[in-house]
Amino acid sequence: MSHHLELFWIMLRAALLSTTGTGNLPIVHQDLLSRGWATDRQFAEALAIGQISPGPTGLWVISLAYFVGGLPGAALTLIAIALPPLLVLVLVHGLYRRFGHHPATQGFVRGLALAVAGVFVVVLTRIMNTAGWNSTNLMITLGAIVLGATRRVPVFAVLAVAAIVGIALF
Amino acid sequence: MIGAQSFGGGSATLYWIRRETVERHGWLTDDDFSRYWGICQIAPGINILALVSLIGWRLAGASGALLSVGGLLLPSAGITVGLTSIYAGIRDVPVVRAAIAGVVPATVGLGLLLAFSMVRPLLKSAQSDGHASTLVAVILLLVSTIAALARAPVIAILWSAGAVSAVARWQFAPRQRSPR
Repeated sequence: MSHHLELFWIMLRAALLSTTGTGNLPIVHQDLLSRGWATDRQFAEALAIGQISPGPTGLWVISLAYFVGGLPGAALTLIAIALPPLLVLVLVHGLYRRFGHHPATQGFVRGLALAVAGVFVVVLTRIMNTAGWNSTNLMITLGAIVLGATRRVPVFAVLAVAAIVGIALF
Repeated sequence: MIGAQSFGGGSATLYWIRRETVERHGWLTDDDFSRYWGICQIAPGINILALVSLIGWRLAGASGALLSVGGLLLPSAGITVGLTSIYAGIRDVPVVRAAIAGVVPATVGLGLLLAFSMVRPLLKSAQSDGHASTLVAVILLLVSTIAALARAPVIAILWSAGAVSAVARWQFAPRQRSPR
């Protein structure tokens, strides 16, 4: 049970310090891996499931929490990600009107987002470490980038093609 | 209330919410919607949830906000848990293992694309503030990547990047002339 509460706290803290659905990934990644509760492979699996399932992409943590703590873990994480966005109401009715256009506020958000992107790339390279940097994997990665960059192919289709390639090759 | 659920990820959900609240029901004007969405960019957590709670609040107060967030989250979270538990049951079947071996590198590719699409507008807005801001942005990006490679605590990386950028923007941002 104390594990579950700790999981809740990790998820809440990460959600509070992110401004997008995947902005919490770097923090969650470090916190869970350092405790040995999740693996890079599980992160990759959870991200893939989050892409396939409906609703905001930020729901990938629900999938990860299910791997880590079963149904109770997923339920607590659901609460942890539902609470921070409600703070926007406080923001609008006070802080935003006063400080929203201050250069320092906008600067902080920009710096935060830049750092998230930098750490995010490092997390991706760690996931790739466990999968292996062989030419087959790199070709699949490249293929996904090309297909995704066209913005014409839905994410679901990209992952389906990758799955078929996987079945054919591995 | 808004029993919002949609298939196909974040931008599809946003599109759907806009169509329902602005175009079909006329609960919000175009202007309101853009302003709300702007505020949600700096709100903590998932932006779409923040947007939905704002719209819910505006239409029906606190209960509206709670119902809208719940209405958006519960169905899609339920499906996510369902998919995950199905997957957990079949992950060791050889065919599934092979499929996942293909999906993982693709996830990395899509993730890189996501990181790129996060960085591009940030660098663009830094550019419009001038060369000094652009330089700060690029340095922040590089330093945070190196710090992450060195396994520095992520929270520390994020807060310091935010702090440095806040001070820099304050100093370098083009001043708006206040009328005297």
